[in-house]
Amino acid sequence: MRIVAVTSCITGIAHTYMAAEALEQAAKKLGYEITVETQGSAGSTAMPQATIDLADFCLFANDLDVKNIERFAGKPFVHVGVSEVLTDAESVLDTCVRNFNTGTFAAVDGGSRTTQTSSKSAAEAEKKGFFKKLFG
Amino acid sequence: MAGAKNALTTADLIIVGLEADSKESATRMLAERMVATGRVTDIEGYLEDVRLREAQMDTGLPGGIGIPHARSAHVTRPTVAIGTSVRGVDFGAHDGPAHLIFLIGAPDGSDDAHLHILAALARKLVHEDFRQSLRDAADAHQIAAIISKEVKP
Repeated sequence: MRIVAVTSCITGIAHTYMAAEALEQAAKKLGYEITVETQGSAGSTAMPQATIDLADFCLFANDLDVKNIERFAGKPFVHVGVSEVLTDAESVLDTCVRNFNTGTFAAVDGGSRTTQTSSKSAAEAEKKGFFKKLFG
Repeated sequence: MAGAKNALTTADLIIVGLEADSKESATRMLAERMVATGRVTDIEGYLEDVRLREAQMDTGLPGGIGIPHARSAHVTRPTVAIGTSVRGVDFGAHDGPAHLIFLIGAPDGSDDAHLHILAALARKLVHEDFRQSLRDAADAHQIAAIISKEVKP
């Protein structure tokens, strides 16, 4: 199972990185491959597009809008709370994988990756409730 | 100590056996250390920034930790002040009070490279063995030494 994740938090100096570490540790333990992009104040490096393309699904643990969400267009995705990840990352991952396997994820409606309007359409998708929230 | 001025924390920023009735009181005690070491220029201004962040969501986390934090114009360099408390201080976590309190300050508008050290600290906080080593530390100097050894940008 290959997962790509994005983490972010309000201040961008603590929870973003704690959640990333918790997800990486949990994935290691459970035998999943995960690549986490930390969209915080203390450095954010975009993950390679190839990594996204090869992923089975995206896990967004974000308090802020996911930056450049159009990169994930068409990918099945799930949105979880940062606090859920920090409480029990293993259980979050297990639940996500189970739900992915039963095909309950919607796909990211990011529009074309190259258009300028894609972030807008992502925001609209969020308003329409396309962003499934599994927890809390 | 060489480089102490630029270190993320020093023994002067650590209170072993911090006893406080509230998170506000605990946070103020730690912030006073930041003022005394020249890392915070205006205690009331900084505490207000921390309070605003705290009001958005509690910063108590499972495993007995509290991480009040803020980016603030009143902070001069990335800093963590640490309190250990046997009785614990309620930071709103579901599983009980915080026995380790990390008051984190970052200068407003500082660049990415400047803040890498705080990202490294945040990642370490997830690890129970790291938290246990801080709880087991004999004194402030030992805690500062652990942070300096384990937390690298």
